Amino acid sequence: MATERSTRDGSWYGDGEGVNQLRGQLFKWGCLGAMLFGIVMVFVLLAYVAIDAIRPLTADPGWHLTFFLTLVAPTSALLGYYGLRDRRSGLVGAIATALPAFCLLVGAGISLLLVDVFRPIEWFGTAVALVVAVGVVYVHRRLRTEPAAFERPIVTVGALVLAVVGVPGVVPSLSQLFRNAPIALNPATMLLYSFAVPVAILTGLAIARRRESRRDGLIAAALTVVGGVLAVIAAPAVGIDDYLLIVLSLSIAAPTAVYVEGVVRERDHLVGLALPIVAYVGTFLGAALVEAYGFAGPEAWLDWQFLTSAHSRFPQEAGIYPALVGSIMMMLVIVVSAFPVGVAAAVYLEEYAPDSGTVGRVVGLIEMNIANLAGVPSVVYGLLGLALFIRYADMNTGSVIVGGLTVGLLILPIVIISSQEAIRAVPNSMRQASYGMGATKWQTVRNVVLPESIPGILTGTILAFGRAIGETAPLLMIGAAAVVFSPPGSFAEKFSAMPRQIFAWSHEPSAEFRYGVLAAGVVTLLVVLLSMNAAAILIRNRYQRRS
Amino acid sequence: MSNENMTAPNPETEAENDDDAVSPTPGSGAVDAGDLETATASSRTVIESRDLDVYYGETQALDDVSIRIPEKQVTAMIGPSGCGKSTFLRCINRMNDLIDAARIEGDLLFQDKNVYDDDVDPVALRRRIGMVFQQPNPFPKSIYDNVAYGLRLQNKTENLDEKVEQALKGAALWDEVKDQLDESGLDLSGGQQQRLCIARAIAVDPEVILMDEPASALDPVATSQIEDLIDELAEDYTVVIVTHNMQQAARISDKTAVFLTGGELVEFDDTQKIFENPEHQRVEDYITGKFG
Repeated sequence: MATERSTRDGSWYGDGEGVNQLRGQLFKWGCLGAMLFGIVMVFVLLAYVAIDAIRPLTADPGWHLTFFLTLVAPTSALLGYYGLRDRRSGLVGAIATALPAFCLLVGAGISLLLVDVFRPIEWFGTAVALVVAVGVVYVHRRLRTEPAAFERPIVTVGALVLAVVGVPGVVPSLSQLFRNAPIALNPATMLLYSFAVPVAILTGLAIARRRESRRDGLIAAALTVVGGVLAVIAAPAVGIDDYLLIVLSLSIAAPTAVYVEGVVRERDHLVGLALPIVAYVGTFLGAALVEAYGFAGPEAWLDWQFLTSAHSRFPQEAGIYPALVGSIMMMLVIVVSAFPVGVAAAVYLEEYAPDSGTVGRVVGLIEMNIANLAGVPSVVYGLLGLALFIRYADMNTGSVIVGGLTVGLLILPIVIISSQEAIRAVPNSMRQASYGMGATKWQTVRNVVLPESIPGILTGTILAFGRAIGETAPLLMIGAAAVVFSPPGSFAEKFSAMPRQIFAWSHEPSAEFRYGVLAAGVVTLLVVLLSMNAAAILIRNRYQRRS
Repeated sequence: MSNENMTAPNPETEAENDDDAVSPTPGSGAVDAGDLETATASSRTVIESRDLDVYYGETQALDDVSIRIPEKQVTAMIGPSGCGKSTFLRCINRMNDLIDAARIEGDLLFQDKNVYDDDVDPVALRRRIGMVFQQPNPFPKSIYDNVAYGLRLQNKTENLDEKVEQALKGAALWDEVKDQLDESGLDLSGGQQQRLCIARAIAVDPEVILMDEPASALDPVATSQIEDLIDELAEDYTVVIVTHNMQQAARISDKTAVFLTGGELVEFDDTQKIFENPEHQRVEDYITGKFG
């Protein structure tokens, strides 16, 4: 009977009231709406800031037309082709285009350090000292094949410490000795030895490994060194200091060349390489044409002058350079302080801490509170830094090291939690295999758990550093300078960071500061932040593909 | 671990053990008629458990297990899921120490030394008792580094190339991978990965190899390769293998232990006898598929 009825009213194929999908559909559209709202808001914010920073409407129409014809139209056409026909090539093209830009940022960061923090002689001295230390460790390993307990770690750490740091006030480090030695080398020669040669070795190793040929590796290394020498020769024509040009050109050229070589050699979606060619040729062609016809470009707030000068009373002359250097130096302190402490804490919690018993309950309580600490407002961390480092430890108010340590404390819970996640993701079967082979806990952690989890740890940690670079409130609390006119010369000096400088600009009475200069600062900060996130994604993808 | 219980062992078993310790069984015609295990043993006992109980928290996983595992033979442990056969295997090399909730009572002797004595370092023990797991679990390192792992742990790095080659040959894998030693162990097929794990285990030259269902995640061809390999390994090593697969136990083992629910060792004897003429009705029922 029942079958008869359902056949007659058609409910068996979903025609009747039996299957109602209306709620499900509404839910789906609601979720879609929420997603679109989020994306649109972010996009509007970015566009708003970018328009203020670059002011595209101040340019000649001819300028827009030229760049549309030389750059926008061809790349759009190419992207359309990739999107419709050949997505894999599109990916290759995107990487080949983005890699040089990303490397330029990294190279620029190193250059900033060389100009203001480590002068070339210090960089060179440290590099030489490191080579000596590594040599000592290597010779020791060769001579003492059966070392006593802790002999190797003591020798390794001791050699590195003596080489780079020394014992303050007692034994000067090797790099200091080197710095004070009467050696007359110009900066370019020093950087050729201490930057071009290491980059050449890395390039050579990469190529030799991929081609399984020593000869090709040597050729690649030699070409890299030749590139460095060419940079020195070309420097006067370009108008950048020769030693900086070595850093900039090699940090762009070497990784790009290695990537492109791989694509060309394996004939792996060669079409993708059209994108960087079209994009970069289009940019230079456009620039040349604009120059030739005399079209005026946009009067952007964000320009070379902005990136290279300090704050000024006049908005046209104001720049972010000291704050940019301050931010980078602060990041160094954060990396050195928060990363080892956070990873060590995570390793203890995941690998050593007992799960049960009284101690286990205490550990559980601690883990819960680490999660709570991650949610404590940053201004509270500022207060903590003020009390701990300035009042108690008597460090300089607003110095780089205090800023770095305070913000390091702030992101420490995030570093711990994300490292814990990464360590937890190492399959237990790996640990079992290692213990089953008769490995001690330490051997298992060192040989299996850490190598397996380091990509995840790096990804999470870099994202945390991205948050650190934008923190403002703790810097206000520890008294970072609103405005500095030169970058800090050491880690104990007063500094300003990008978000602090942006905050200061927001108080300027002139609208040009509050809209133009501020927007340029925000865009700079966002570019640094986005490139850090991009690095995190790259690291993750690279290691995911391997395993 | 509760060592209190071990300091007060059952006086009967103690006496029995002393007896065996002075007159090991091989070749001796004098056999206690009541002791089936010694009656059929043709070689020295290398692992012996006496009244071994294991608890995970409140649950009892092994109940009074006494067994003698002979040297250089294949001993199979069969039984339904949850019967404690893997637990027993993990007691031998103290892998259960890694589980906080596990508690062990009774004695487990490896070469006449209780492995749960206070002065036994589980790390040193595991260097002499290798283990192969159910899922092939090579490290995400090169094939070479996988095999060299145990040797490097023990700083036995002289003639490393030679030892790695020997281990891979011993695991019948050398011919397949000799040209790709630098490639990741994870790029191998499942059966190759499992043989790599066996090579990794035998590279350090252990005395016993424990295998926890080594072929259950593999296809029939790879399974048969592993079985052939186990046969060869038994010439040099004592092999203890846990398996779900009764045919496999019948094919490869010299001795078979049948565990049934509740962590009880019901019968332990020559494989042929277990499969053709078991003492217990329950074992017969299990083997003929009436339950389990």
